[in-house]
Amino acid sequence: MAMTPRQFEARYEPAWLELERGLNALDAGRRRRKIRPAETGANELPTGARVAQLYRQCCEHLALARERAYPVHLVARLETLTARAHQRIYRRHDVGLAAFRHLVLYKAPAAVRALRWHLLVATLVFVLPTVVVGVATWLDPHFVLTVVDARQVHDFDGMYGQQAGERLGRTSGDDWTMFGFYIMNNVGIAFRCFAAGLALGVGSLFMVGYNGLLAGAVAGFLVTRGDSERFFSFVVTHSAFELTAIVLSGAAGLKLGHAMLAPGRLTRTQALMRAARETSPVVFCFTVMLFVAAGIEAFWSSAAWIAPGVKYAVGGCCWALVLAYLGLQGKGHDAAVLEARAR
Amino acid sequence: MKLDTRLLAETPEGIAILLRPAGVVPRGLAYSLDFFIRFLAFGVAAMFLARLKGVGTGLMLVTYFGLEWIYPIVFELLPGAATPGKRAMGLLVMMDTGLPVTPSASVTRNLLRVADFMPLMFAFGMASMLLRRDFKRLGDIVAGTLVVHAEQVRLAGALPEAQPLAPRVPLTRAQQVAILHLAGRARRLTSERLDELATLADNALPPPDYAPGGTSPAPIRPGPRLIAVAQWLMGQR
Repeated sequence: MAMTPRQFEARYEPAWLELERGLNALDAGRRRRKIRPAETGANELPTGARVAQLYRQCCEHLALARERAYPVHLVARLETLTARAHQRIYRRHDVGLAAFRHLVLYKAPAAVRALRWHLLVATLVFVLPTVVVGVATWLDPHFVLTVVDARQVHDFDGMYGQQAGERLGRTSGDDWTMFGFYIMNNVGIAFRCFAAGLALGVGSLFMVGYNGLLAGAVAGFLVTRGDSERFFSFVVTHSAFELTAIVLSGAAGLKLGHAMLAPGRLTRTQALMRAARETSPVVFCFTVMLFVAAGIEAFWSSAAWIAPGVKYAVGGCCWALVLAYLGLQGKGHDAAVLEARAR
Repeated sequence: MKLDTRLLAETPEGIAILLRPAGVVPRGLAYSLDFFIRFLAFGVAAMFLARLKGVGTGLMLVTYFGLEWIYPIVFELLPGAATPGKRAMGLLVMMDTGLPVTPSASVTRNLLRVADFMPLMFAFGMASMLLRRDFKRLGDIVAGTLVVHAEQVRLAGALPEAQPLAPRVPLTRAQQVAILHLAGRARRLTSERLDELATLADNALPPPDYAPGGTSPAPIRPGPRLIAVAQWLMGQR
């Protein structure tokens, strides 16, 4: 005769209780709390390997209990137990300082380089409007009004023109206020630019292109006014981080749109999920870069007392640093990093 | 079963884990609650930071940024895997494989909330949730995450104690299952309703006052007799 539910429970319950104790101990250990055996009601706590073994046993018991249609409460108990153990055993263990180091040194630059074609497109979509509008404004200063309205032009003048005071790049507010503003505004724009990629990539390209347009208009306008030194010495340092970050966010968004349009052998959902996994180090990268840019823009770029020559030198170093990090850091390990990511 | 919104996530051991995705209403309420909490937190922070002039204004803007973008990510990566609003509604975020949510998935789903918001008032996200059996918004689809009810509803509990009684006739498996399930729900039913339902199984239950070999006689009401048979099926002899 088949085993009755009672016999089943009596026979295997010790294993279930042991697994429960093991899970409790693991949970407590994660919270770095010393757990005394007395608390768990047992003298010996199961080790990690034993927990894994017990988990597989309980999975078997659950399969049997379901197959034999044992009472609901018995099945439910095993379901809860196995679901909990499953979460514990298959959780990702690679979080922490070492993983962070790996992300900064290898994963992020490798992920950026893996996006090279999307980066190329995003860069062109940024640079072309900048150059076209910049040159057009330089040739005919009134052209600036086709891009921005008169009030904004007046603001540009106040920020970088003759009457700009001690502080460049702003019409009001002190360093700290502007730091907060740059974080809220610029990081928010980059996040939106990335998310806009879900509109088949068009949204990201639009936002990147629009920012290029504005940059071109400001630069062209100020050059014709003879304020080029004030303007370029202001932007040169933080633009290394800020413009690169905007282009990165556009490229990451474009990657999402690309995955939707041309999923290849995967379903569209699978392609999107994979694209999101692959671009998440890039998202991390541009977020950090924008934080750095906000700090530089608020406290360094705006300081009118620093000689433009010094700013150009520091700015040049920053550009070299950013491009070297993205282009060269951990280059020899790309294949290994990307392969580990695919798994 | 098509009406049921439960999802099965299969583990490498070949067993299925049941997940109960949360729908538009609890998630909407959780979002509103979070919005209110963020609003309050910003109000309190602003009250103190306003005294600090420039530094205060800067920190206020950083706080605003943090509450808008970082707040959900931080709470989802803490052990509870839920923002305070979700926790209040009994929800939590996990991967659709039944595993804890990963940092990159949490970042993805929270950044893409902007896409769900488009064109206005979460129209895309709402449409996506209403059209899908697993109630994922766009961010959840891309990140491979799921918002689920943390607690499973348990309709059946342990069987009430009773003297076991053998059924009148041999029972098929389906009949045994039906009797065990009904007995498991006995504690949730009034005794009248239990009797009413147990009458349907009267052919399988021993007759009232049936007492083979000097044992105590079977109960008169069908409900207790059904529980007695269920105890017999459980293996109590």
